[in-house]
Amino acid sequence: MNRVKRVLSSKQIVTFVWVIGLIMAWEIGATVVQQTKRTPEYVLPHIYQIIDSVFSPNLVNGSQTAAQIVLSNAAVTLVRAGIGFIIGSVIGFVLALLMNMFLPVEKIAFPYLMIIQMIPILGMAPIILAITKDIDKSRIVIAAILTFYPVATNTLAGFKAVEKEKLELMYSLAAKKADVYKKLFIPSSIPYFFTGLKISAPMAITASILVDTLQGGGGLGCMLSQSLKHAMSIYVFWQIVFFSAIIGILSFYLMSAIEKLVSPYKKVGR
Amino acid sequence: MENGYLNTKSNSLNVKTSEGTDPNQVKSRSKPELNKDGVTTVIYPVLFGVFILLLWQTQLLHKILGTDTFTLPLPGRIINIILGNIPEILKNVQATVIVAAGGLVLGSALGYLLGIVAMAFPQWGYGGISIASAFTAVPIVAIAPILNNLTKDFSDDPNARSMLAKTLVVMITCTVSMSINAYRGFTELKPYSLDLMKSYAASPMTVFLKLRMPNSLPYVFTALRVSVPTSIISALVSEYFAEYIIGVGRQIREGIVLAQYATAWAYIIVACAIGILMYAILLIAEGIILKDRRNR
Repeated sequence: MNRVKRVLSSKQIVTFVWVIGLIMAWEIGATVVQQTKRTPEYVLPHIYQIIDSVFSPNLVNGSQTAAQIVLSNAAVTLVRAGIGFIIGSVIGFVLALLMNMFLPVEKIAFPYLMIIQMIPILGMAPIILAITKDIDKSRIVIAAILTFYPVATNTLAGFKAVEKEKLELMYSLAAKKADVYKKLFIPSSIPYFFTGLKISAPMAITASILVDTLQGGGGLGCMLSQSLKHAMSIYVFWQIVFFSAIIGILSFYLMSAIEKLVSPYKKVGR
Repeated sequence: MENGYLNTKSNSLNVKTSEGTDPNQVKSRSKPELNKDGVTTVIYPVLFGVFILLLWQTQLLHKILGTDTFTLPLPGRIINIILGNIPEILKNVQATVIVAAGGLVLGSALGYLLGIVAMAFPQWGYGGISIASAFTAVPIVAIAPILNNLTKDFSDDPNARSMLAKTLVVMITCTVSMSINAYRGFTELKPYSLDLMKSYAASPMTVFLKLRMPNSLPYVFTALRVSVPTSIISALVSEYFAEYIIGVGRQIREGIVLAQYATAWAYIIVACAIGILMYAILLIAEGIILKDRRNR
């Protein structure tokens, strides 16, 4: 009896029951919608209909099935988001490093880092497209901007959180500045760096999809708006919704996994 | 006698937390040094800003970015447009702020309630919250069109139903961070405070009102610091997908579509101003409310 109780209250079971509950709620909603609306598949289709459409061999736009469209466009969007993400995280890390090394740099950049957090960067997406004139470049630029400031602020917080005693020890050993950074600052900022990456990875993907919707020429967001405008099967839209949700969540776990690989013995203390 | 002892004890506890959570405390302590350092702290960023503005006005910035004054108008022109279209801009600002603030309040209230529910049933509630936190990774771009379709039958007025759809999007994006933080505020109590309550034979309701709820206040503000910028971003993005053409975000896009880049820039400046203002209001409110709490 006790054993049954323990199994029932384990974390996996709790998660499992919640997922089942959510699916049930969705299906109940879908059933209601099906009976009350004229075009239920536009509002809330059944989950099995969506899954069915993933495996259906019917061609949606003449040459590709729905799943093929989603996957080929996802590749376009995600590669750009990934490039922007990498560029942004490198810039963010280097900026945090410079800010920690040189006081004037910190004084100049810190207020702007604070302000940029309050500014809706995604709202600027169209104008960046207008400046770069190229949808690929603007995807990369926006993903990079959205990545760089969470990474910079979190990494800087990591540098600041280094214990004074450790610094004093380094000083008493007459360690060179390069050594202090290599052995103390950078290793202890890694968990904070990854906190920043975890925040910005889903954001970079969102940004990239949003930029797609601004212009034709491929990408998940482009297909999403076309599907909404009845240019192709609405199930393409639903597949993209689920796909982007899953990718967003996976990107978070991917960062956690990389963090475990890079520094398996460290835990974020926050 | 006993009361007096308890009071001093709780006071010392309060002081400890205020030192731990409040960065202002640190600032005020280092004020004498600020005079030497403080001048450069202000002057460096201001100089940098002026430098960028100069680059912009002299069109050197355009050469660096490879654009022209048509896509990136000069600062003076943008300000002129803002000043010349104040009534029009205010109408759009109003639409955006109502959506952002309404969604923020609704979402935060819902999140707080969910936090209470999760606290009441910790085992299942916490699992639910951790699942909900996975949903924060779902892009706004995917949520906005769904809600647009869902609210189609709500009203015959396209403005009203777009408003509802947009507010719901903002609400969804604000709920999760509040519920996680509220849950933490209810459960991460000071050591022995729960035991103290037990020794008073306090009812769960009293424990909630006197201990858990006050304890959750700083956490509420932590959540708001995340959700205020998020609420504005999701309001702007949901405007892109909305049926009815209104709002700062939509005007930015319309400006680009119609190739009126100067107008788009004016609305971008306005959007930034909204973001900074709402954040400033939050910081001021936090300062006032948490300060009262400290003095008590």
